[in-house]
Amino acid sequence: MIRFEKVTKRYPGPGRPALDQVTLDIDKGEFVYLVGTSGSGKSTALRLVLRELRPTTGRVHVAGKEINRMAGWKVPRLRRQIGTVFQDFRLLPNKTVTENVAFAQQVIGKSRREIGKVVPETLELVGLKDKGDRMPDELSGGEQQRVAIARAFVNRPMILIADEPTGNLDPATSAGIMNLLGDINQTGTTVVMATHDHGIVDQFTKRVIELDHGKVVRDEASGSYGFQH
Amino acid sequence: MQLRYVFTELRTGLRRNLSMHLAVILTLFVSLSLAGIGILVQREATVARDSLGDELKILVNLCTDDDPSHSPNCASGEVTADQQQRIEKEIADSDEVASSAFQSKQEGYDRAYEQAQRNNTQAAFEGPDPVVTVERWPAAYWVTLKTPERADGIISALEGLDGVSVIKDQRKALGQIFGIMTVLKYGSWIGAGFLLFAALLQVTNTIRLAALARRREIAIMRLVGASTLYIALPFLLEALVAAVVGVALAAGVLAAFQYWGVEKALSDHVQFLPWVDWGDYTQALIGLFPPGIVILGPALTLIPTLLLTRKYVKV
Ligand SMILES: Nc1ncnc2c1ncn2[C@@H]1O[C@H](COP(=O)(O)OP(=O)(O)OP(=O)(O)O)[C@@H](O)[C@H]1O
Ligand SMILES: [Mg+2]
Repeated sequence: MIRFEKVTKRYPGPGRPALDQVTLDIDKGEFVYLVGTSGSGKSTALRLVLRELRPTTGRVHVAGKEINRMAGWKVPRLRRQIGTVFQDFRLLPNKTVTENVAFAQQVIGKSRREIGKVVPETLELVGLKDKGDRMPDELSGGEQQRVAIARAFVNRPMILIADEPTGNLDPATSAGIMNLLGDINQTGTTVVMATHDHGIVDQFTKRVIELDHGKVVRDEASGSYGFQH
Repeated sequence: MQLRYVFTELRTGLRRNLSMHLAVILTLFVSLSLAGIGILVQREATVARDSLGDELKILVNLCTDDDPSHSPNCASGEVTADQQQRIEKEIADSDEVASSAFQSKQEGYDRAYEQAQRNNTQAAFEGPDPVVTVERWPAAYWVTLKTPERADGIISALEGLDGVSVIKDQRKALGQIFGIMTVLKYGSWIGAGFLLFAALLQVTNTIRLAALARRREIAIMRLVGASTLYIALPFLLEALVAAVVGVALAAGVLAAFQYWGVEKALSDHVQFLPWVDWGDYTQALIGLFPPGIVILGPALTLIPTLLLTRKYVKV
């Protein structure tokens, strides 16, 4: 589903590359943690998958397509197959929960009928069935993240990318989010999650890919966060 | 594509940046009005030239016996064949002259008689001892210039020739009118140019602000895979609305100018000139060269919007 072939990403300016000859392969339906110290290149790897960035050298394949060479006008189509969740939720503050989730469907031209059906379903899935009319600032952090996950999942993407989704949440709330991501993974969606949170990684055991200074230093099918932390 | 969202965005966008949009519209309105007046003046000059083209010719009267001009050129009385040959050569050799035609005494007399009859002033031509006779009517050359601006060479050459009585040069009066038109035309275009530039700057500022105000939405639209066109559409529509309002106001001002200024005032007072009509007005709106305001307005707002949104909305 996602394959990096000797991917190197160098940002403008001096210094070592953010990713250095990274090769990795993530299958359909997998749940993968991307771990590593701050600055090790996790976010960079995720942004390469989204084609927000292009590799300096090497190839990135997503869903069978070599996306580093994809024409610009095809990128929106690629992104419709990928849901994205961030540490800071990124909800629209002037829209209700329902509107926030529906937004992701409206702007890619889904019909009103489909939106009317799928949005409530998705809100129910994330456990916010009764909070559709709330504004984001009337929700707890965990609930806001659920809205963000609903928005990422509402178009039923093949891949869900989560960049430190529990970074702003307490352990109990984080566990709830992890269960939700687990449920989404169960539907066949490939989940790639960058995280610092070793409690989570050790508790919800999955495949772990560890980056260090832009290099893959560990790739365990069923790993822990690592001993150094 | 779900247009409801786009129109909602358009409405909030217009409201959010109302003062900016008003500034764009007003600047656009004034500059397009000026540009349109410039076009109308240019058309007026063309219309006047087209119809007064004959009168832009120079009439060179030749001497008659006892010539009324009392010019020293006519000291020898009726123009001689030699003198006429000399005059003809001078006209033919001049690089200011496009063509020339000889008008005999009889032709000139007939033409004048006809005109007099039409105006009911033929008395001088009739009676037992008429004032105007074929004998007294001068033969002449109609000299057509290459450009109405250049005739000094041929006029000064002919003025000194024996056999030339009077040179009737109507360019002087008309030249002043065309001069005024030229000043008006370029004046309004230069003014329009500055204001259009101001409008351009305002458009870019408006887009920058609008993109800033909508940056969260834009970031999410990009993330979930909205097409670039879809993201840019509210910006383009905002620009289009501003352009349409600006163009409509300018078109109204130009129509008022055409109706009250030209039809009701100028054409009554100044009857010897033909005036621009509604066809010329239409040209000022939708002409291609120079571009009419219906083309100019949207181009000035949409092109920078397209370029800038490509920058701000890039996937
Ligand atoms: N836009 C950018 N321009 C220049 N350098 C950047 C940019 N984004 C990231 N970097 C650099 O690339 C390296 C990897 O950054 P990246 O954000 O991928 O790390 P990360 O593993 O996500 O870190 P964190 O855990 O703090 O989020 C860092 O050294 C960072 O400074
Ligand atoms: Mg990061």
